[in-house]
Amino acid sequence: MSTLLLDASVVLAAFDPDDAHCTPAAALLGDTSVTLATLDLVRYEVANIAVRAWRSPDAVAPLLAVIERIAEDGGVVVSTGALMTRAAELAERHSISVYDAAYVAAVGEGDRRLVSCDERDLVSKGLAELPGAS
Amino acid sequence: MAKVMVSMPEELLVEVDAEARRLGTSRSAVLRGFADAALHRRRVDRADAIRALLREAAGHGGKVAELVKATRPGP
Repeated sequence: MSTLLLDASVVLAAFDPDDAHCTPAAALLGDTSVTLATLDLVRYEVANIAVRAWRSPDAVAPLLAVIERIAEDGGVVVSTGALMTRAAELAERHSISVYDAAYVAAVGEGDRRLVSCDERDLVSKGLAELPGAS
Repeated sequence: MAKVMVSMPEELLVEVDAEARRLGTSRSAVLRGFADAALHRRRVDRADAIRALLREAAGHGGKVAELVKATRPGP
């Protein structure tokens, strides 16, 4: 049984029927055959999008509720100093932001895999897979 | 299959062994079944709760991955 670590784009896509990845993202969040986890950064990112980009502060509560359900499943990885040090190394190596690299670092060792809708910086570089890819 | 050592209270082990006798299986098989059932229950609870939350979803224009990057602090 593998654990999938989701970045903010997957949670947000599931809540936006206009997004190209909405259906597979929603299916993944409702998939009982995998354990889901995420990184604590996701709380800031989903709330920021709801308020600043969607202009929909009412969306914050359900988005954060999804995070809490993921927390009760595979957990929310904490951005420790060690994790962020590793993220900085990954950001430099792959020419990506430290934000993106933090999710990559959170995957860590073992059989976890990162899932993201970010095709440009994560999926195209083999650092993540799209929702529904496996 | 990996082998592990598990510590547990004596009273709990008595119950596990009783379950193994009832099912005609091994102590290991009972513990595997309990672990699998607990993890499956957790995933089902998560999935059910999130499906209910997603019923409130409304269109926001898409391109969420680009939005995430656009709203992060710049260098």
